[in-house]
Order: sequence, then C-alpha cells, then structure tokens
Amino acid sequence: MSARAVYGIVVREWVRFLRQRGRLFSSLARPFVWLVFAGAGFAAVFAGRDAIDYRVYMAPGLLGMVVMFGALLAGLSTVTDRDAGVLRMVLVAPIRRSTIAVGKALAATLLGTAQTIVVAAVLLPLVGLRPTGAGALLALGAIVLSSLATGALGVLLAAGMRSIENFAGVMNFVVFPMLFLSGALYPIGHLGPVLHALTYLNPLAYGVDLLKHALLAPWSGAGYGGELPVALDLAALLGWAIVGLGGATPLLAREGGVTRAAFRERA
Amino acid sequence: MTAAAIAVRGLGKDFGSLRALDGLDLEVREGEFFGFLGPNGAGKTTTVHLLATLLAPSRGAARVAGYDVVRHALAVRRSIGLVFQETTLDRDLTIDENLRFAARLWDLPRRVATPRIDQLLGQFGLAARRGEPVRALSGGLRRALDIARGILHEPRVLFLDEPTAGLDPRARRSLWQLIRGLRAASGLTVFLTTHYVEEAEPCDRVAVLEAGRLVALGAPADLKREADVGSLEEVFLARTGHPLAAGGAA
Repeated sequence: MSARAVYGIVVREWVRFLRQRGRLFSSLARPFVWLVFAGAGFAAVFAGRDAIDYRVYMAPGLLGMVVMFGALLAGLSTVTDRDAGVLRMVLVAPIRRSTIAVGKALAATLLGTAQTIVVAAVLLPLVGLRPTGAGALLALGAIVLSSLATGALGVLLAAGMRSIENFAGVMNFVVFPMLFLSGALYPIGHLGPVLHALTYLNPLAYGVDLLKHALLAPWSGAGYGGELPVALDLAALLGWAIVGLGGATPLLAREGGVTRAAFRERA
Repeated sequence: MTAAAIAVRGLGKDFGSLRALDGLDLEVREGEFFGFLGPNGAGKTTTVHLLATLLAPSRGAARVAGYDVVRHALAVRRSIGLVFQETTLDRDLTIDENLRFAARLWDLPRRVATPRIDQLLGQFGLAARRGEPVRALSGGLRRALDIARGILHEPRVLFLDEPTAGLDPRARRSLWQLIRGLRAASGLTVFLTTHYVEEAEPCDRVAVLEAGRLVALGAPADLKREADVGSLEEVFLARTGHPLAAGGAA
C-alpha cells in the first residue's frame, strides 16, 4: 500500500472540503439547528426531564450526528468522483483498489473528526457539559473511531452505487434510519424488538453509546449514560470499519461499468 | 530489433451478449505512433481499457511494456499514461493541485515531482495559470492538462482516447503540435484512438476497427496503395462496404 497515494487522496478531500464553503457552514451549523428546534420539541416530552436536561442528553447524539454527516457523506463522495470522472484517473494509477478505499476512509475520518471537534468545542460549553480528562479522551476516541466506521460505510455504499441519483435513497434508507436508531435523540432501549435488533447493526449506535459513556457518566445511574460495554462499542466500530473497507475494495474494482456505460451510449 | 510496446493476441471482450471486441491481434513497436481508427462503438475505448487493465479480457492476452495486463496489472499501470475521452480532472482543484494529486497517486517523491511539474507547465503553456481552478480553463487547456498529467510519471506508452473530441479547430491544432513535440523529445510510444481519418494520417501505422474486428492494419500509405484509393476514408469504405462517418460523429 502506497502511503503517498493515501496521503494524496486525503489531501485532496481536505482541500475540497475547505473550498466548499456551503458544505462547511451547513455541517457546522446543523447540530445547533437541531439543538434549538428538535431540542425544544423533544425537551417538552422527554421522560427523563427531572433527572437530566434534554439538551445535555442530546449533546453526545448531536456529536454523533456531526460524525455521521461529516464522515458518511465524505465517504459517499466517491460516487461524485465516479460521476465527474476523477475516479477513473484514480483507478488507472498504479495502486491497489484497497489503497483507494483506505485513502477515502481515512479522508472521511479526518473530515468527520475535525468537524465534530469544532462543534464539540462550542456545543459542550453551551449546554454546560464539562467532561473529565478521561471522558474527553474517550470522547475523542469515540469520534475518531465512529468517523472511521461511518466513513468506511460511506465508501462501501458509494462503491456499490452506479450514479449520484441513488443518493436520495441513501439519505432515506440509510442516513435517517441510522440517526433515529442510534440513541442520539432518545434512548433506544424502549424501541420494539425489530427496531431494537436493528440498532445492533448500526455503527452510529455504538459511536453514540461510546460518546454517552464519555460525556454522560454522571447520569448513568439515572439510566442516561452508555448502555453497552465500552469494549463492545470499540469492537463493533472497528468491525464496521473492516467490513466497509473489505466490502468496498472489490466493488471499486468493478469499474467495468465505466466502459460498459460509454459503450452503450454509442453502440 | 526493439521490443514490442504492446503485444495483443486474440483479445476479446463481451458485455453480456454483446461482442465488443473479437479476436484482436496487434503489435505496437517501441516509439511508434499508432492510430486506432474506427467509428464510434467499434470497440476502440474497450481496447484501451483492456490494455490499461481497467477491464478484464473475456478471451486472449495482452502485454503492455512487457507486462501481462491480467497478471501484472500494477506494473502495466505504472508503465502507461492514459488520457480518457472525457476529462478526469478535479474541477474544484487548481492546475497545480491536480498535478500534485496525480504525483502522489503515482508515488513520485516531492523532489522528483516538483521540477517535473514545473517543466510540464512551462512546456504546455500552463505555468501562468497554475493557481487557477480547472473549472476556469478552456476545453483546450483542460485537454493539455489531461495530457500533462498523463505523462507526469514519464510512461513508456501513452494512450490517447479520442483526445480532440469536443475541441475547436484551433485547440485541435495546438494539441497536435504538443503531441508531435512530445514524441520528438522523448520517443514516447503513442496509441491514439480516433474516428477522424485526418488524425490517423500522420500515424506510423493504423489499425482500422469495425464492430469489434480488425479490418485493416498497416502504414497509411501502404493501406491506400493496397486498396488503390487516395484516403484512409476510402480504405475504410473498401474494407467494410460503408463509409466511416456512418458510425456517427461525436
């Protein structure tokens, strides 16, 4: 695996991200919009309002949301690379397909982590959360690992997609379910058995759980901290990263679609 | 005797029930300017993608720069440059950033890449605009940048897939000047696909492709003499029974 190629892929994503002001602004503003509007609504019906302020409860979830939009969408950008033709150039470079998948996933990890740290620096003081040193460190680990896991998932989804038109489907059937089944907005323990089972497949659920371990430890007695063992969260996130990268690699190689599509147009 | 830059035996590719390429036999010599002429849909791009290891052959074998395209795909990709029919530049990045990105993908250390990029930008007339995003460039300059990026790593074989498609006559002329200059300076093997006969005329040898099959192969002058006609256009007509333009111009 060429470290220089991975570095090149990461640098390109970073430069593109910084240059897209709209994306930068909306990704940083999104959690605060949720804090204000969803926070107001949910706070009124939140069962635990005597034990914990809802805005404090939702803070780890909002960070998880930033991770997901930051890293998953960055991983999904592989599909726009395919549309714009850039992916062909990458595929003709003398590097393995796995190098491309790793480069993309690491770029997504960097973007997800950077955005989440910036948001956390404002959000946590805003809701009055002051994590301990160990808590902050665990939160950082949770942010990096969840970015890697959701970024790899994004690369996997993008590698399997033919065109950007499938994007809306991904938003409806992946992004929103992932968010609502993550425990970001409400505890998932009370969900029905089918939905609850699905949460075990959701990488974001493990990321948010880890963030709750890190940030909501004082409320764990009241049932609002992390619920799964930390080791399970870590292992599941790593597992998702490996599944995403391993699944994306052969799909990226299936680039025969490029010529096939061009051929069909002209035949 | 020089080694073959490209050696193809019985190469074929199917897409489902469609035979895109059928039993291609071909040898391109080191340093040769080789034209691959045929109407759209004849299988030119499929051939290039097979030789560039982007597609796996259904039948037959091919060696590029001495390496088997299936067993030594990475070595093949290291030895070739490929300019795709449609630009593959990142429009949001600057000229400089696009070349830096490519240099990293091709594993060129900075101390090698920096002088090479400076040299190419000078040679291709892009130096003054290196800090501009690609989206601000004309089609002709984008194409020039595509080619500069294609030869950044000093490949042995350069594939140009319909390089002038969509360019105005002036940009076309300056592009050919650029390619002539490159060949004169480096002895680079160039594999050109085109559906324009006039672009195939200056080639050392031309292969004429029709519906996935080779219908003629030789120096343009020899092909014309054999068919007793005055142009490659007529050679195509004589061999296939219909005019080249019938494939539809892009």
